[in-house]
Amino acid sequence: MNAKIKLENHDAQEIKYTTCYMCACRCGIKVTLEDNKVRFIQGNRNHPTNQGVLCAKGSAGIMKQYSTAKLTQPLMRKEGTERGEGIYEAISWDKALDILTDRLQEIRETDPSKLAFFTGRDQMQALTGLWAQQFGTPNWAAHGGFCSVNMAAAGLYTIGFSFWEFGAPDWDYAKYFIMWGVAEDHSSNPIKIGLEKLKRRGGKFVTVNPVRTGYSAIADEWLPIKPGMDGLLAMSMVHVLLKHEKFDYEFLVRYTNASWLVVQTPGEKGDGLFLRDENNQPLIWDIEKEAFRNGMDGEIAPALFGEYVAPDGRRVKTVMSMMAERYLDSRYAPENVAAEVGLPAEAIERIALEMAHVAFQETVELPIEWTDVWGRKHDKVVGRPVAMYAMRGISAHSNGFHACRAVHFIQMLLGALDAPGNFRARAPYPKPIPPHQLPENNIDIINAPNTPLSRPPLGFPTRPEDLVVDEFGNPLRIDKAYSWEVPIASHGLMHMVITNATNHDPYAIDTLILFMANMAWNSTMNTKNIQDMLRMKDPEEPGEYKIPFLVVIDAFHSEMTNFADLILPDTTYLERHDCISLLDRPISEPDAAADAIRYPLVKLDRDVRPWQEVMVELASRLKFPAFTKEDGSRKFKDYPDFIVNYERSPGIGFLSGWRGKDGSKSLKGEPNPNQWEKYIENQSFFAHHWPDNQKYMRYANKDYLEVAADSGFVGKPEPIIMQFYSEPLQKFRLAGQGLYDGPQPTNQVDRERLVTYFDPLPMWYEPLEQQRVDANEYPFFALTQRPMFMYHSWDSQNVWLRQLMAQNYLYMNARKAAEMGIKDFDWVWVESHNGKIRCQVKTMEGTQEDTVWTWNAIGKQKGAWGLKEDASEATKGFLLNHLISELLPEKSGERRVTNSDPVTGQAAWFDLRVKIWKAEPGETGSWPQFDVLKPYPGDERYERPNVLRYDARSHEKN
Amino acid sequence: MHPAFSVIFFTVASGAGFGLISLLFIADFFKLGGGFSDDQLVAGGLIALGLIAFGLLSSTFHLANPKNAWRAFSRFRTSWLSREGVFAIVFMPLALIYVGSIMFGAPEWLRVGFGFLTAVLAWITVFSTGMIYACLKTIRQWNTPLVPANYLALGYASGSLLLLLGAVFAGLETTPYIAMSALIVSIAAVLKAIYYFWIRSPGLTPTINTATGLTRAKIKLLDTGHTHGTFLTQEFGFQIARQKASVLKVVVFVVGFAVPGLMLVSVFNQNGGHAAAIVAVVAGILGAAVERWLFFAEARHVVNLYHGAQRC
Amino acid sequence: MRLGLVIDLDVCVGCHACAIACKEWNASGTIGPLSDYQPYGAEPSGVWFNRIRHFEMDEYPNNKTVNFPMSCMHCEDADCVTVCPTGASYKRAEDGIVLIDQDKCMGCNYCSWACPYGARELDRSSGTMKKCTLCIDRIYDEQLPVEERQPSCVLTCPAHARMFGDFDDPDSAVSRTVRERGGYPLMPELNYNPTNTYLPIRRKPVIEVETKPKGGLKESIKQFANRLVRR
Repeated sequence: MNAKIKLENHDAQEIKYTTCYMCACRCGIKVTLEDNKVRFIQGNRNHPTNQGVLCAKGSAGIMKQYSTAKLTQPLMRKEGTERGEGIYEAISWDKALDILTDRLQEIRETDPSKLAFFTGRDQMQALTGLWAQQFGTPNWAAHGGFCSVNMAAAGLYTIGFSFWEFGAPDWDYAKYFIMWGVAEDHSSNPIKIGLEKLKRRGGKFVTVNPVRTGYSAIADEWLPIKPGMDGLLAMSMVHVLLKHEKFDYEFLVRYTNASWLVVQTPGEKGDGLFLRDENNQPLIWDIEKEAFRNGMDGEIAPALFGEYVAPDGRRVKTVMSMMAERYLDSRYAPENVAAEVGLPAEAIERIALEMAHVAFQETVELPIEWTDVWGRKHDKVVGRPVAMYAMRGISAHSNGFHACRAVHFIQMLLGALDAPGNFRARAPYPKPIPPHQLPENNIDIINAPNTPLSRPPLGFPTRPEDLVVDEFGNPLRIDKAYSWEVPIASHGLMHMVITNATNHDPYAIDTLILFMANMAWNSTMNTKNIQDMLRMKDPEEPGEYKIPFLVVIDAFHSEMTNFADLILPDTTYLERHDCISLLDRPISEPDAAADAIRYPLVKLDRDVRPWQEVMVELASRLKFPAFTKEDGSRKFKDYPDFIVNYERSPGIGFLSGWRGKDGSKSLKGEPNPNQWEKYIENQSFFAHHWPDNQKYMRYANKDYLEVAADSGFVGKPEPIIMQFYSEPLQKFRLAGQGLYDGPQPTNQVDRERLVTYFDPLPMWYEPLEQQRVDANEYPFFALTQRPMFMYHSWDSQNVWLRQLMAQNYLYMNARKAAEMGIKDFDWVWVESHNGKIRCQVKTMEGTQEDTVWTWNAIGKQKGAWGLKEDASEATKGFLLNHLISELLPEKSGERRVTNSDPVTGQAAWFDLRVKIWKAEPGETGSWPQFDVLKPYPGDERYERPNVLRYDARSHEKN
Repeated sequence: MHPAFSVIFFTVASGAGFGLISLLFIADFFKLGGGFSDDQLVAGGLIALGLIAFGLLSSTFHLANPKNAWRAFSRFRTSWLSREGVFAIVFMPLALIYVGSIMFGAPEWLRVGFGFLTAVLAWITVFSTGMIYACLKTIRQWNTPLVPANYLALGYASGSLLLLLGAVFAGLETTPYIAMSALIVSIAAVLKAIYYFWIRSPGLTPTINTATGLTRAKIKLLDTGHTHGTFLTQEFGFQIARQKASVLKVVVFVVGFAVPGLMLVSVFNQNGGHAAAIVAVVAGILGAAVERWLFFAEARHVVNLYHGAQRC
Repeated sequence: MRLGLVIDLDVCVGCHACAIACKEWNASGTIGPLSDYQPYGAEPSGVWFNRIRHFEMDEYPNNKTVNFPMSCMHCEDADCVTVCPTGASYKRAEDGIVLIDQDKCMGCNYCSWACPYGARELDRSSGTMKKCTLCIDRIYDEQLPVEERQPSCVLTCPAHARMFGDFDDPDSAVSRTVRERGGYPLMPELNYNPTNTYLPIRRKPVIEVETKPKGGLKESIKQFANRLVRR
């Protein structure tokens, strides 16, 4: 070859495998290092998640590693300065840990609930949750409450697994794929890999999305729905399927509760609950035996439709009959929802029937023998190859829980779940519906000093008794999760923490620990006011803030760290040990249970520590039982030691690979002292590939469920019957109606919400905020999403990624903008009931006419993220967050209520309505603007040249 | 195209210089208007060479890596830019010998021979300069034989006006010089007019549809994939408003052609008229500079189709 | 050999993975570093070999978004090479890759004028023109695993919207795909004969539907005949 071509000096290089952390996708990466510098990050071809490919974020990891926003040492707010001024002094780790330990010790000894610990985009909730549980505070959650809980709860209360981390479409066999919802920011690389497979095989890809960007760009058909209308659309499709009798009769009988009998005694206690036998088993009407029989049994022939009279004389009806009555109503006919959802009736009907055609006429059959949980052998697996996935557009509305359930209804009616070509579960899912884990709600345990909680702070309530409230019904958690206001808030409500803590509602806290969450900027609703709350002094405690002590852990100089009293600097993902555990948000794929690790590839060059290391240290100092030996000495030397040796139950630990003393066991086994080494040898991940007979129908797959029970994924190898009709919801509704034998709410607001929104079958209602905002005054829906090259990542400070987008615009439908006299690059004012902003417009075809949207988290505060003051992210970029309130607009005679889904507490980011008008000439630049953040001590090390010439090579340079 | 001032200076100055020295030779050979003295010829030749040298020098200012400029002569076989460089370099010694042969009273054959070669090389060099632009298929406004014709015409027009100025100052019979200038300026004006009419017609050029291959529907750019400028937008993104271009075209014709024309009449009527001759030169060169700026400003590189242009 | 890329517009989701992987590889590659201007400042910009534009086709609600990655097309009739006065730009006879010899380039920008595809970008720091090398320092590096001897953009593309191969070989994957999918060059009217080829957007799959409802479940619900289906 040409002598001029200089090849790599491989002798100077080292190749290591680890796991990406530029987003929640957690791909396997192969990292080439040269002289402790990162030469190249590429996808690991053997990794089950990304199979060799890597997205823009992954490759841009280099520029994250060399970010000039990296914190360099622990910092303490300088004495005599005010919170938010951003004036800090460097302190040693010893001192920082002493200060924090003393403070936490005191809280734990007096009132453990006075500590609130909330985490952002971390992937170590199993550890942070354990830590909080051991501390004894119920006030812990990750960011799921403002992100995923509608999706997770709808799935886990309906099908036993859910969109996002708990399932994935079967791209190898799917022939029809519908993606629901705007902001396509989950499972990034697997979906890209999969969409290409689907299209290559001639499959059809339909997208339901007000905006046509991202994956929707390559859809074969775009349904530009109005935001918040997805549930109504899904229910209309249910209507069409029922009307045309396009449903999988056998599937409904075998794997769902469609045949279970529901008591029909309106106005009486027990109405709407399942008819149950003396063992509390749900009953069906057996048409062969003509008798009521146990709906969990195998040898039954249930009636799918019908009304019967129970032995005790109560009228009962099958779930399917109730569904047919509800959804066959003309309310849900395509022609009657068309105007509301903004789509032609023809399209609604056609798409539903196309799915039915593919499901029933283009069935996939695989010659795989498997045994169902009732012991019958099957000689093949039948797949109805329609797959679905849903995105934030479904989740982030206050009607999103029901909308997501309605999407699952379509899947269930088509019999299209966890079989070839379907949306399939990822281990450790499916789980019992809902998972058998209740949140700690014993007030005595919660209040007990120096005492761990008996259960994790988060879980899945099934009835009013499971709420985390005191005897008067007042919330025991600072975020009011599991209170009457939001009973099934299974991921907490991180978006309410600062507001509630500031208002001392339900009580005052002492210390707030925030890890990796930008709650003073793009991760909070109502940003400007939240910043003011963080600065607010407590008039009753002179000198104290409303939130007295704020600890922020982050690797980067964010808008949030600027408010911390104590900043603990974290490492980057290339500098530390990490584990991506099956106990957490798994990286499993449908065909394999998988977990992974990270380990330090790059030498630390500053005085920072991994937060998980610090957590183990604090847990040891505070002598948490799980971290302390009987003699009082610490149990775990450090985080890697903890990961290897901690067992949740015997044989079950954070990592499932190479367990057992000699590393020969998978999923379950004694701790293996060489586990880290084994992972590193095996490219930093472990995958347990399911044998063919355990790959499908796992809600009723005997062999799978037995392994799952043995591995601790489920309690017992019992059938997981999918729940069309959700009895837990009905129990809460009865409580609202005053018909429940047990706790009932006393507040009228709570009663109304339970009665209205806890429908055991999916319903559609106008999003709560929109019910209180005049649509004529605020004619546009307003949404956000993140660009593919930034989603789920911290990366506007990234030198390469910010070149792609250093300013966001407000996108509008071109025709609509023209009607309003608005052109590309015009500056406009955007106002909601909560505030106003100024930003710049771009017009496009691919936006639903009544919708405007922007790329989120591009706007930055001046001086943050290692950028210079004049960075266009700060001068022209903007946040929509200022317009979104964390509380619903006030209603007279009613206490302020969270702007969240009334069932799950999911933050209703996308319920926003706005009005828009052209700014006056000369009104340019984004507004509002904020103070410039000051550089921290240690920032001197960063040069920030005007020209950067990154080169990892240590050899001869150009 | 981004109008780089170094390139505008270069082409206008060297064009005038090449024009001047070529016409100087003709004036010398035919002893137009009584003929310049040798000293005057030398002075004129040095002025021409100065303009050329100044132009060539300024053209290197737009090089990002001038230390490799010497390599620019290596691709004579394919590159008009290389050819221009080579011709300019060959021209220089010939022109110096020509001027030297006048200065030192060399034999007539030497003076005529080198004068002729100088004039030919000058012509070829200016033609090459024009071809640098004309050979680019990427820029429709340039990809035409009118471009080298324009370059030659404008260079010689500027040169002829300079020569006339010299004749006036030298006190020669100005009529032949006026006639020569009038002829060349007129040709330049006509060629420029044809050019301006020609670039107004859309022509069969790439469109956003052929650039993307998406030919079945209207195509619009949604996003360039970068918020701020790139090399491509800086180099090719320059856009001039149609109205501004029209105004500047009037300026080109009034200042570059009409004013010099009127001044020629004035010189003719006054039978002399130093001021008029100076105005003619200044206007002519100014007009040529505006023309050159517009030549770049109006050129639309096809890469703009990927940055939002519907056609180029 | 005539090496080049196939870009599949039907599946490109516009994620910019190829652009960043390219930047990443080449920053420390044979003609790196690639300068970034104002990396922390007001208007960040830099030298890239691969850029992705986003277009919209047709009008709402029939519009389609088309993502459009572009890098050097390694043209058969590469005017960028012809016009280069220094000989820095050259097209390799053995594989058709168009390269720029950084030691010869004088930074006159002329080649970029001749390129219709915007493939060439000047690095102001080195004063030289730079462009896609088709990762020549990967594809011929025999120390890399065979499957990784590909341009980094192809290696990384999550949607597998990029293919690399020899267009002279009628049996190569790229040649076959181009034939089967009707691949096309950009701006063919300029006669540069670009090697890189774009695959068009596929036609929508047609799925038949039965539009006639059976009896209509609602009316018959009360009398609906339950079927005997045993679990």
